[in-house]
This record gives sequence, structure tokens and C-alpha cells, in this order.
Amino acid sequence: MKYNYYLKTLLLLTLTVLTACESDDGDKYTEVPDPVSPVVMDLTAVPYNKLSDYKFFEGDLKNLQPSYKVLPYELNSALFTDYAHKKRFVWMPAGSKATYTADGELLNFPSGTALIKNFYYDNVQPGNTTRIIETRLMIKKGSEWIFADYVWNDEQTEAFLDLDGSFTDVSWNENGSPKSAGYRIPSETECLTCHKINNSNGNSGPLAIPIGTKPQNLNRMYAYADGNANQLSRWIQEGYLKDNLPGNITSTVNWQDASQPLELRVRSYIDINCAHCHSEGAHCDYMPMRFAFSETTNPENLGVCVEPFEFINPSISHIVAKGNPARSALYYRLNSVDESYRMPMLGRTIKHDEGIQLIQEWINSLEGPCP
Amino acid sequence: MKKIFTIISCGISAFALHAQTNCATAVPVTSGTYNASYSDGSQVPALICTNGIDNDVTMGIWYSYTSATTVNVTVSTDVQGFTPKDTRVHVYNGACGSLTCVAGDDDSGTSYSSIVSFTAQAGVTYYIAFDNNWDDTDFTFQVFETAFTAPLFDTVMYNVTGAYVMCVVDMNGDYLDDIVVPDNNQIKMFYQQTDGTFTETARVAGSTPYMPGWSLAAGDYDGNGFNDLLYGNGNGAALMIANADGTQYTAMQSPQSIFSQRTNFVDLNNDGHLDAFVCHDIAPNCYFLNDGNGGFSWVQGGIGDHPSGGNYGSIWVDYDNDGDADLFIAKCRGGGDPASINELHRNNGDGTFTNVSEQANLADMLQTWSTAWGDFDNDGDMDALVGANSTANGPHKLMRNNGDGTFTDVTDGSGFADLFELNREHIAHDFNNDGWIDVMGGGNYIMFNNGDMTFTKTQANASVGPIGDLNNDGFLDILNFNQMKLNNGNDNNWIKLYLEGTESNRNGIGARVEVYAEGDGWEKQIRDVRSGDGFRYMSSLNTHFGLGTTDAIEQIIIKWPSGIIDVIENPDVNQAITVQEGSTLGTGKFATNLFSTYPNPVKDILYFASDDATEITEAHVYDISGKLISTSAVENNALKVQQLSNGNYLLVLKDSDGKYYSAKFIKK
Repeated sequence: MKYNYYLKTLLLLTLTVLTACESDDGDKYTEVPDPVSPVVMDLTAVPYNKLSDYKFFEGDLKNLQPSYKVLPYELNSALFTDYAHKKRFVWMPAGSKATYTADGELLNFPSGTALIKNFYYDNVQPGNTTRIIETRLMIKKGSEWIFADYVWNDEQTEAFLDLDGSFTDVSWNENGSPKSAGYRIPSETECLTCHKINNSNGNSGPLAIPIGTKPQNLNRMYAYADGNANQLSRWIQEGYLKDNLPGNITSTVNWQDASQPLELRVRSYIDINCAHCHSEGAHCDYMPMRFAFSETTNPENLGVCVEPFEFINPSISHIVAKGNPARSALYYRLNSVDESYRMPMLGRTIKHDEGIQLIQEWINSLEGPCP
Repeated sequence: MKKIFTIISCGISAFALHAQTNCATAVPVTSGTYNASYSDGSQVPALICTNGIDNDVTMGIWYSYTSATTVNVTVSTDVQGFTPKDTRVHVYNGACGSLTCVAGDDDSGTSYSSIVSFTAQAGVTYYIAFDNNWDDTDFTFQVFETAFTAPLFDTVMYNVTGAYVMCVVDMNGDYLDDIVVPDNNQIKMFYQQTDGTFTETARVAGSTPYMPGWSLAAGDYDGNGFNDLLYGNGNGAALMIANADGTQYTAMQSPQSIFSQRTNFVDLNNDGHLDAFVCHDIAPNCYFLNDGNGGFSWVQGGIGDHPSGGNYGSIWVDYDNDGDADLFIAKCRGGGDPASINELHRNNGDGTFTNVSEQANLADMLQTWSTAWGDFDNDGDMDALVGANSTANGPHKLMRNNGDGTFTDVTDGSGFADLFELNREHIAHDFNNDGWIDVMGGGNYIMFNNGDMTFTKTQANASVGPIGDLNNDGFLDILNFNQMKLNNGNDNNWIKLYLEGTESNRNGIGARVEVYAEGDGWEKQIRDVRSGDGFRYMSSLNTHFGLGTTDAIEQIIIKWPSGIIDVIENPDVNQAITVQEGSTLGTGKFATNLFSTYPNPVKDILYFASDDATEITEAHVYDISGKLISTSAVENNALKVQQLSNGNYLLVLKDSDGKYYSAKFIKK
């Protein structure tokens, strides 16, 4: 996928919303009076007590109608969190932008950036209503990220800062079938368990980082209010991303897109659900898997025919036993709800049926058996 | 071979086509090679005698086996000359309508084929049933007999179900180990009866979101005679407190989100009340500090404070023999994070702890989820098997306690280099009652202690689980989910202690128990009474010693956390002794009249006289209620007592050989 998907014509049409910062292609445009983003981001005062304090949204809060310069985005494949739906937004202070590092690396965001992720369910029983559970923020203060989590009230009029962690019961209809979960709103330490890089600096503890906002995951079309556009192009156009992306970005796909090759879908699913712990240098790199998208071109890193370090039960012979899901630790753990065996360990309490099916289909497609 | 196989198979099919489709018409087999085919409508083996994954089973193949003499029988689908198939086999006895499991195997052979051995008693009919859990193609199997030897464990199927089959501990105050299964809003109890049966009762328990998905510990938090439970959950921890008669449980929860790993009951501040310690995976460790009134104050910090945690397997062990429980934390974390460096925290005796990992030589970065501690060489101090759960940072490590607060790596040549199996669980118990503590970790193996700090890897028909004496025979058994693995035992002797703390916590957790005898290569064995070893399971709180061929114990010493020392002289072997804290104070007399005290009553100095060269080196003085007044070194067999107020006192004396004696005296 090429970034120059974005067209000069589009750029011209939307010129009026561009801020006056330099344009990387060297063109100079006449300054026009800028509309100002209403977002309030005082880095000495965040996290605020209420979600509404940021003014990310206009109108009724529950409509999640983004304010000016609050940009919605999606990822090619998303983390499964008990079937919660998600609406993601990004906001950056005027005059600052993120820069590209590598396809599979996080964008380098400027101080003041807010990543906003709303977790909600549709068809919540008994009334088939929509219920927003929580809005998770990551805010970059200087060079470090902080977490803030806002838990919505029953009236869906406001969400309040709460990093202590809690449970809430949800019952809903998922594609016609009834489901329920003791949904876990994470505590700050739980946030950090997945969203971190180890700090090599002695005993000072890990540093918080986002997970999804990598070019490989953002490189996709999005249906903006004013039409479809490639997200990376749009970010550049919005002034949110420096215009120095390579011509080709090796990208994940939507694991639900059956038109894509099975292995690519599986690698995409495993990257977004598993790689934050199972990649070189991460929380659980003492196990043999290397699940980052950039690493899984090697089947051994996916665990194919690799014996697991950890004994689960005598039936499990490999992390992925070719042609034999039931003997594969990967399948077993995705298919388990026992908290000491299930994977991912956090963020999931019920099974992701469709994800399990994908993994099953893929393992069955591998001609076996393992030697 | 091929020819024989054909003849045999033709022979079977000629006279009994598909007779092996159900138990009632099972085809008798003897030593030999057979081929087997599944057929539609055959009887599904409903009773599963294997661990592992159960898929949809639709067919079974049934054979029977009877021997005139008692022999060991092996059934194998891993037959030379034939392609092994992914089979599963169950071995039963009993009547077809009421079968019980004898043995079973899924994958012990190559390519997921099955190999199962069992003892066939003379004249008893056994049923051998294969099922299509994995594969329904034809396969070949072999039956062969070998001379009878008893397996390590008898497998007894038990009807326990649920996600939390992880605890074997006494719950009704009779010291017999029960099976304890937490469930939502209840705790299922299987109370062991004196006749070896179990009585099932569901006890109402308070609701908690913090079910023990990661670990479980037991201890009498409020000292009412009924053990309470501590659940370790990924989002928090919960105490389940038994009411006055142990029939109902009330939940108390951690007021903060924590990612629990190993949990333990331990008296952190030695106030006589158990506290509830929780290893935190991703932050500093936490505990419920018992307020002495059934409640708690919540504490995070002070004992393992790495900001990103990495705390997996906490185990309380008095590594420096100073009478209080120190903490070793088996640690794990990827990415080279120092959170993965193991920690040893020395108890300063005042509720504070000092990290001594470096000076002790235990600060390994080794991905361990639990570490097994025991005095493996019976030299009077606790050694450690640091058990790996990943070889990314190195394999298992056996560390010998040098007796001076440091440890030396003695892995080379110890046998642990041959234990390639990894596990979350590593535990230390004497499984063969030979007086030397063994280790269990990954796979179905016991590392039997040879008595010289080497261990022999031995295949066992059991894996790690909660440990206890499920049939009260003095040999330690294992609960593997719904299979009780009952230790077949041997001729070795044993002794068990049932402790009842009074000054100290009710369970005597933190006590050091010592046995003195002329053992097979040992003169002294030690145990620490603890709640919670390995990674997740809770094992019996009773103290168990194997004694080998020794049938005479000179002394058992119990050093309670309170400072009280109980001395039991010459107890009989092969029994369980209940010891209430302080109950032997003043009741004992100087063994064999070796010592006498004079003058009595005494004013200033109490003298000890012996009729040989043995000297008294230490004296513990208690008041008449059993409260420790002083501990002091003794020189020249004389103890100054002029500072004591007038009254009756109890005395425990230690001699230069480490033996203990108790006496009374009157101060005037």
C-alpha cells in the first residue's frame, strides 16, 4: 500500500482545514484563519476527573461525535476484548505531529497526544441498547505516556476517572446469539502489563506505550465524514504525521477478511492479540514464540512444530501441531477461559469463537504431522 | 512379525467379528499382538482414565484380560514394525455396569500412541478399552507381561469436578486431609473419614469475583480451629473465613486490584495471628495484615518491591535457622527486566525484611515460577531447587545451603541436569519415606533423593498436584484432578505431626520441626511448617517425616514462632502425634536422667549436672503460662536467674549436640 494514495486534489479540496505548519513537499500556501480545536489538554492537570473536561466530543457525550481535530481511526485487526466494540480517536496539539519510524514500530507521537479508545456494546439486553462502558486514554506527557480510564455512568452522560479496576456485567446479542461477560475494566497496573516496554534502566520499572498505532496497522481505508481515505494519508493531511513515509508499508490485514490469505489473517490476528507480550524483549519473551507481525514470516516463530516449554497437559505436544489443533498449545490457550491458562491473559474472560475458528482452520491447513 | 500379525488378526475376526464392541462381549486377550478396528455403534468408554484433552468420542474397542498369577501387564500401541496411531486406552476392573479405572494412557508412545502398565491381580478380570478420542483408523497393539512390581501410586478415580481442584488440607479440624474445591458461592468439601472414605458437603461461601484462578492457600486466619482459605486471582485476592463451626465462609477482599500469583498464610509480624501474603505479578507484593480481630489492614510494599513485580512463587523458609520465616520469591519476567531476578528476603524478626539475594548467591535471573525448598542433605539447613519454567535464562539449579547465609550451586552431577521437563510447579516432599526429601517438577517424574545430594529421575504414574495423606497411611499422596494418586508405600517408617498453636498461630505455620534419630545416613531432619509451596496448589499443613528403616526416634523438637519449644521424647514411629503448643513444657524430665538441676528452689544461679561430658549450651526460660521470658547462652553449665521474679518456671535446655531437654524450677 502506498501512502501517495492520497491525492493532490483531495489535499487542495481540504486545504482550508490545514494548519499553517510547514508542508513537507515544500509548497507554501496562503495562511487562512484556523478554526481552533476545542480540546483542552493541560499536561500539568491531566488526567482530568471527567471525560467531558477534555472536550474531545461535541454534543451529547454518548454520541462520541468528535470535536474539531479529533480524528477517528481504526486498526486493520483489533484486539479481542470480550466482543466489546471500539471507537478510536487521536488528537494532537496544534503544530505538532507524529513521525514514522518503521512499519512495525509505533509512530513517534508528539507530547500532548491523546489516544482515545471507547469500549461499548450494542444490543445490550434487555432493551437492545448501546452501552458505553469505558473510555481509555493514553496521553503523552513529554516523552512518557500516562494512562487514564473513564468509566461511564449508567445514564451515559459522563465518564469518571477510575484507574482502580472493576467489574461490570454485560449481556448482549452478538450477531443474533446471546452472550454475557463479567467485563473487566482494567486497573492501571493491568494497563501497564500489556502497554509497556521494559526499562533497561535498572529497577525503575517499565515505561507505558500504546500498542496499535503502528503504520502496519493504520495503513487502511477509513470512511471519514467527508469520504473514504487512507488513514495514514489523512493523518499527513491533517498535519498529524510527517510526510516521510516509505512507498511501501508492509501491513497487517483485517483477520475477518476472508478474501485475504489465511496465513496473513492469522499473523495479523496473532500480532494484535499476542505480540505485546510475545515478541523479542517483551513481557513474556522467555517463551519461544515471537508473535510480532514482522517476526512471523518464520513459521517457527509462530510455534509451528515447536514443543512448548511449559507443561499444560499430556495431550499438548506442540505450540502449533500441524494439522492438529487439539494438540496445539496456541489453540488450547485461546480456547480456555481458565485465567491461568487462557491467552491473552488480560482483556479476555470469554472465548472469541471466530478467532478460535480462524486458528483452528489455519492449524488444520498445515500439512502434518510435525516430525 | 507381519505374518504373525495377519494370522492373529484373522483368527480373532474369524471367531469374534466385532465382539469387541462392548464391555459385555469384550474379547479376552493374553500376551501377544493384535489388530483393532472401530465399528459404528460400539460402546463408548464413558469413564476416562487419562489426563489431557477429551474430544468427542463416538466409538470404543473392548478387550478383557485375566491372569492366573499376579503380574504387571503392559498394553502398547507403539508396536515395532507397525505405524503407531494416535490412540487412547483405559484399563478398568469391576463389573461392566460399574467399572472403575485402574490405569489409562493417551500419548506415552511415539506419534501419540499409547503405553499403559498396570498390575493384574491373580484371577481378576480387567477390561482394556480403546476410544477414538483422536483417531478412528485401525491400529495394532501388543500385550505383554512382566514380573510383578508395585507401581508408585494406585490411581483411584474420585468424583471431583470444577475449575479449582487444587487443595488438599484439613478443613474440619480433625487433621485428616480433605479435598477442598472452591466454586462460585460455595466450597465443596470432601471430608476424609477415619475409614478412608470421603464425605461430600457443599459449604456456603460468600460471593467474590476473585476465584482462585492462580493460587490457593489455607490457614486458620482467625484461630477458631477451622482453616480459612486465601484465593489468588488475576484481579484481586479474597479471604474465605470459616464461621465458628466451619460450616459457612465469609469473603473479605483485597481493597485494590492486584494480579495475584502464589499466596501464603504466614505470621509476618509474629503477633500470633496469621497474615495473608499475595505475590503480585506486576507490582510490589501485598498482604492482608491480620488485626487480631478477624479483620485486616491492607499493605503493599516492604517485601519484594520491584516496581514491575515479577513475583511468581513465594515460599516461606527459615534459611538462616534463626527461628523466623524468611521469604524466597521465585521470579519471572521477559525482556531482560531485573524483575526476573530471584529474591531472598531475610526476616529481621521485627516485621521488616532485608533483601539478601546477592549475598546469599540466590539472585539468579532464571525464569522460575516456583522453587522447591528442603534440607536435601539432612545437614540441618534448607537447600533449594530453583525450578525453571523456561530455559531462556538457563535450566534448573540446585543450591546447597552453606549454613552461613550463602548458597553454592551444586547442580553438576546432581541429576537435575537430566530433568529436561519444565514446570510452574516444583515441590519438595519425601515420597518414599526414606528420610530424604525428593523433588517433583515437570513431567511424570519424581527426583528421588539418593541421600548424597544426587537425585534419580524416576518415572511415576502421577504428576504434580496438591500433596497430602489421602488415606492416612503415612505415605504422601497426590491429587491429580479427579484421580487420587495413592502412594503404594513400602516398609519404611514415618511419623506425622498435627500442630495446634496457642501463643503462636493456630496452625503453627512458621514453626521449625526437628526429628533426631539414628537414621540411614542422617541424624536429624528438619521441616518448616508452611502454607503454600510450589506455584498454585495448597498441600497438607500436617508435618510429615519419612524415617527409612529407623524405628526409634530420640526426640522431636518443635520450635514455635512464639519461642516456645516443645520436646517429645522417644515417640513411637508410624503414628500421627498431636502437639499443642507448650504442652510438653515442664512435663518432660531429663532424658535418661542424664542431667539434673540444682539447687531447686534457686536464688541466683541454676546449675546443670551431667554424668558425661555433654554440656548445656542454651537455655529457654518460660513462665508457667508458657510465655517465653528469656533465651540465653549457657556457659559452664550455669544459668543466672537472679533477675527473675519469684515463682515457678519452665525450662528448655539445648545441649551441645542440638538435643533438647525440659524441666521445671522454682525461683525464690
